[in-house]
Amino acid sequence: MSHDHGHAAIKLEYQPALPIGRGKLCLWLFLSTEIMFFAGLIATYIVLRFGSPPESWPLPHDVHLQEYVGAFNTFVLICSSVTIVLALEAARSNHAGLAKGWMMLTFVLGSVFLGVKAYEYNEKFKHGIFPSKPHSLLYEKADLYYVQAVRLNLAPRSTALSAEVGDLTAKREPLVAKIERGQALSDQERQELENVNRRLLPYDLLTDLVQWTELKAAKAPDTVERRKALEMMAVAIYPRRPIGKEGEELEHEYVAALHRDADAVKRDLAALEKQRSVVEAERAEPQRMQAELQMKIDLLNAELKKLEAPPMTTAQSAPPGVNFISLQHPAENPAQPTANPRIEAIKMEVAALEAQVLPIQASLNLINERVAPITNEIKRHQGRLRLLPTLEQAKHGLNHEFPELRLPMVIPSGNMWASTYFLLTGFHAIHVLVGLIAFVLVLLYKLDRTKAHILENTGLYWHFVDLVWIFLFPLLYLF
Amino acid sequence: MADPKSPLDPRFPGHGYDPLEPVDGHGDDAHGHGDSHGHGGVGKYVLVFIALCVLTAISFAVGNSQTLRENSPGAMWAMMMAVSCAKAMLVILFFMHMLWEANWKYVLTIPASMMSIFLLLMLVPDIGRRTNRYAEERWLYAAEPYSNSHAIAAEAAKTHDHNHAGPTDKAGHEPAAGHK
Repeated sequence: MSHDHGHAAIKLEYQPALPIGRGKLCLWLFLSTEIMFFAGLIATYIVLRFGSPPESWPLPHDVHLQEYVGAFNTFVLICSSVTIVLALEAARSNHAGLAKGWMMLTFVLGSVFLGVKAYEYNEKFKHGIFPSKPHSLLYEKADLYYVQAVRLNLAPRSTALSAEVGDLTAKREPLVAKIERGQALSDQERQELENVNRRLLPYDLLTDLVQWTELKAAKAPDTVERRKALEMMAVAIYPRRPIGKEGEELEHEYVAALHRDADAVKRDLAALEKQRSVVEAERAEPQRMQAELQMKIDLLNAELKKLEAPPMTTAQSAPPGVNFISLQHPAENPAQPTANPRIEAIKMEVAALEAQVLPIQASLNLINERVAPITNEIKRHQGRLRLLPTLEQAKHGLNHEFPELRLPMVIPSGNMWASTYFLLTGFHAIHVLVGLIAFVLVLLYKLDRTKAHILENTGLYWHFVDLVWIFLFPLLYLF
Repeated sequence: MADPKSPLDPRFPGHGYDPLEPVDGHGDDAHGHGDSHGHGGVGKYVLVFIALCVLTAISFAVGNSQTLRENSPGAMWAMMMAVSCAKAMLVILFFMHMLWEANWKYVLTIPASMMSIFLLLMLVPDIGRRTNRYAEERWLYAAEPYSNSHAIAAEAAKTHDHNHAGPTDKAGHEPAAGHK
């Protein structure tokens, strides 16, 4: 090629497009794509968060988001940015050992960030906040679907108790009756009551919370009352109160509402018991009549027995119609012809009296049928009254007191929040992880001046990760 | 040392290496460019670090201030956004070294900024207006304002007014309606 038909060999000189190394150029191109990626995600978050129905976005406290943990993470990431820049400086000055030290520190700080993130995620998962169903226990609204979800959660637990329910309720009855009479319980009794209540909790909640709410929601005469019942249940399970003074006020209002509920239940209970006693009063007359008739029947039966009592001779053991024996021994059975019609008469009277008893028995049965539903209602109201102290004690919600139950909870816009939060922080955490892997690979080198450009590019990537977090932190935690 | 033959080697003459990047065989950087490599740089980085911490603290304080949140959340958001942008600029300019880079930085940053700003502008008409076109049925299942559930639950068990005056939430709206 050096002799080219007269042409001088064209010497091509390599002109860089941009006066930076290939690695750096490619990394910057990659970073601009990443900028677009995260800009898109962050913009999505902004649109969704400010587009949710007004005032419905969950507060950080509701979704177990702790701002100071996020602030600590921000600080950790800022520190790691500084350390990686110092590593670059050390490498450029050919201090390989120092550079390695700074890089290890950066790696440690990045791991701390991921560890704290894992702790945060665990807090959410512990409380049933997941990115999506089926693990997520979040519901947008306290409606019938929510009540159904709570029922579906409690029903299997209650069924599992079904073998013991009888025994445990029997154990509980006398203790509860003692309290209702106003007597004090001994420590041992109180402990036992607590244990029984704890074991029976799913069963109690199913009857006195879920079923009570369902019946109120279905049958209350007033639509507002139906709505209230659903909201009361949601608030009982997971209150969603802001922290601070406003939250305390709301707590007092809730306790007052529980007391008002208790009073209403007591009033209804009194009315029901009155109703039952009215119906029971109707028993008196028929029962008296039945008793009278029964007395007469018993007297007649006794007489009958006496008449039929004399020892049976061969003569009297014969069927009454046959009188051939009387022909032979007329002296032995002079009473028989006279006893027979008497027995007949008694028997007819008894039959007549028993016929009279039948309709009375029927009316008594009718009264039983009328009383039974009232008794059921009374039992329901009593159960509800027994639950209300538990609800009052669980002021931070049943979900907080009994987390093992994993009860579904109502957090408006909660599912939207969870999706966006986990998406944004998840993608960021993946980028952090990739950064950590890069650090491990870089740490395998001797970080002297010849490797400084690798360190520079790694540093650029890590600074970008920090940059994204700088925007994510206020957006997710503070907005 | 002889010049390397391969144009792919970063030490090939005329190869587009970063003039600020130290190359083996040369002494310490003698390049000017007003860069602050070497011993003065660490001090600058520490200053930037302190500035970042202070800005984070400001952002945290603003975000947690209840008075701002109640009175003018818009101002609170604007302040936090401004702080975030300031922190971002500090990281980009100093940690990512852009302050001292040559004009090629504009080739990268300007198109990226244009695209980001365009994205933002395209979404501005949607911010805060998503619920404007909700159908009635959609409202039935939509999330409700915070205060509603508290008001409703607090009113529960109170004897209901038979004139159906009904409970109202804190803002004075009927709880059954979802519009605000």
